[in-house]
Amino acid sequence: MSKLPTPSRASSDKSSSHPGFAVRSSATSSSLASRRATVYDRNMNRRAPDLALSTFAFLFSEMVQYSQKNVKGVQEMENRLSAYGYHVGQRVLELATVREIKNAKRETRVLGLLQFINTTIWKAIFGKVADALEKSKDQEDEYMIIDNNPVANSYISVPKELSSLDCASFQAGVIEAVMDGCQFPAKITAHSVPTELYPLKTVFLVKLDPLVIEREKYMR
Amino acid sequence: MAVRTPRQIGEDVWKTRIEKVNAELVTLTYGSVVAQLCKDFTNDYIQVNEQLDKMGYNIGIRLIEDILARTNSERCRSFKDTAEMISKVGFKIFLNITPAILNWSQDNKQFSLIFDDNPLSDFVELPDDGKAINELWYSNILCGVLRGALEMVQLQVEAKFVSDVLRGDDTTEMRVTLIRVLEDEMPVGDE
Amino acid sequence: MTIYSFWIFDRHCECIYHKDFKRPMRQLRPTSALSSTDPKQRNTSGGPPKGSGPLTVDDESKLVFGVVFSLRNMVKKLSGDQESFFSFKTTKYKLHFFETQTNLRFVMVTDTRVDGVRPILEQIYAGLYVEYVVKNPLSPPEHPGGEGVNNELFTLGLDRFLRPLSIFE
Repeated sequence: MSKLPTPSRASSDKSSSHPGFAVRSSATSSSLASRRATVYDRNMNRRAPDLALSTFAFLFSEMVQYSQKNVKGVQEMENRLSAYGYHVGQRVLELATVREIKNAKRETRVLGLLQFINTTIWKAIFGKVADALEKSKDQEDEYMIIDNNPVANSYISVPKELSSLDCASFQAGVIEAVMDGCQFPAKITAHSVPTELYPLKTVFLVKLDPLVIEREKYMR
Repeated sequence: MAVRTPRQIGEDVWKTRIEKVNAELVTLTYGSVVAQLCKDFTNDYIQVNEQLDKMGYNIGIRLIEDILARTNSERCRSFKDTAEMISKVGFKIFLNITPAILNWSQDNKQFSLIFDDNPLSDFVELPDDGKAINELWYSNILCGVLRGALEMVQLQVEAKFVSDVLRGDDTTEMRVTLIRVLEDEMPVGDE
Repeated sequence: MTIYSFWIFDRHCECIYHKDFKRPMRQLRPTSALSSTDPKQRNTSGGPPKGSGPLTVDDESKLVFGVVFSLRNMVKKLSGDQESFFSFKTTKYKLHFFETQTNLRFVMVTDTRVDGVRPILEQIYAGLYVEYVVKNPLSPPEHPGGEGVNNELFTLGLDRFLRPLSIFE
């Protein structure tokens, strides 16, 4: 993972090292001088107003197109989309933690954390809670988060030759980052399970690291 | 029917005809794209700028269709009209901002967009490697978007950032230059 | 009333989508990847046609584009760049035309009694093409050879949109 954003320099010495830009910018509005506040002065509880779904869809289109270049197969393609999601998830977790600080509690059990993802995290980044959370009947280490209409799949029409591709892998990456960040390492994969009513429905399969299962047993 | 101003068109579409998503999804997703490119091009920011511009161009090609389909507006009659549409309709619909249009050149073929607000760069600090601050135009995808979108309506433009608050400048300014009006393409083998 | 065929041409003058419903003009022989999927509508006489034989889909596509492009250009020369034509009629069919500012051209050929197709073409553009082709991340930004247009959502959407219309048989 690259490290944008990174810690700041003192903001005062920035402009002095680039006198070339000062000339141009002086031609413009003076009200803008107040913008010099750094990112750290920002109120983290302030949420920017919503943007158009199309904006995300167009950006995501280019991510998908870029990820398709020199790709060896569906699996690699999904891994690339998941890596973008991971980057997002790391930051969503931080934001959610800062914002929920008053009633924050450290999730120590798998179910508690998955519910946190299913509700708080999903709402914070995808604007709605996920549609279901289920435990696998056969596998002790598997859970499923279900989204009937994942935002990453808006507008997607998967061609037959790529029928196993699920672009919601991007969202699987978000889950993986949150789980990692909370010390619940797991592998998350996205699987499309289209239904008549929800053609874009996706099951996010959470496969927990054996370490986590081991720990759960101690805590019983 | 009364002619609507670009501002009315933009506001109207924004309020009534747009499905929305959380702004932070867009902001953080864009961040993941820039970070991925920095990795792929091993922090060669000049190449990152170029790739962002290319991606923006492809987005612009798509995005203009969405604008036209939603607004049903007439073809712009001058580059000044085009600038208004870019700010009050294009940026309004897609980033919910209306950058100021300033610094027209005398021949009316060049103007600046001044970004007071830029949702793409929320939460962002450039990498502290002494290089990014001089080389990376973090929001360069927007230049490509303008280039692609305007090419589709037969305007070849050059768009580039000349300052960015992320670099410590006082403003974020993009310079847009009209190169030429494109002719419609002819069928191959037809004169 | 009947729709005979539907075409989309892009700014590079290439046919990026084509669907035949019924055959109005001439018999066709199949060639192109873009051709209709219904074999009944194709020429099945067998053997490679020569000379002035039936048209291939490619030939027909070029002719359709040639006609609308020339007509459009002449209309613009006559009465200004903002001007466009809506349709023209022969004894056998009527051709309806809608062009976007991005030089996407939508063409629908119907029987001669059909009117008011332009709003339908506009809806196909705004409601189907933009939503299912332009916004589809798996479609490329442009569509050489029709790539990305002929996807399931778009073709299903088109079918669902056209079928209930009174002009559809």
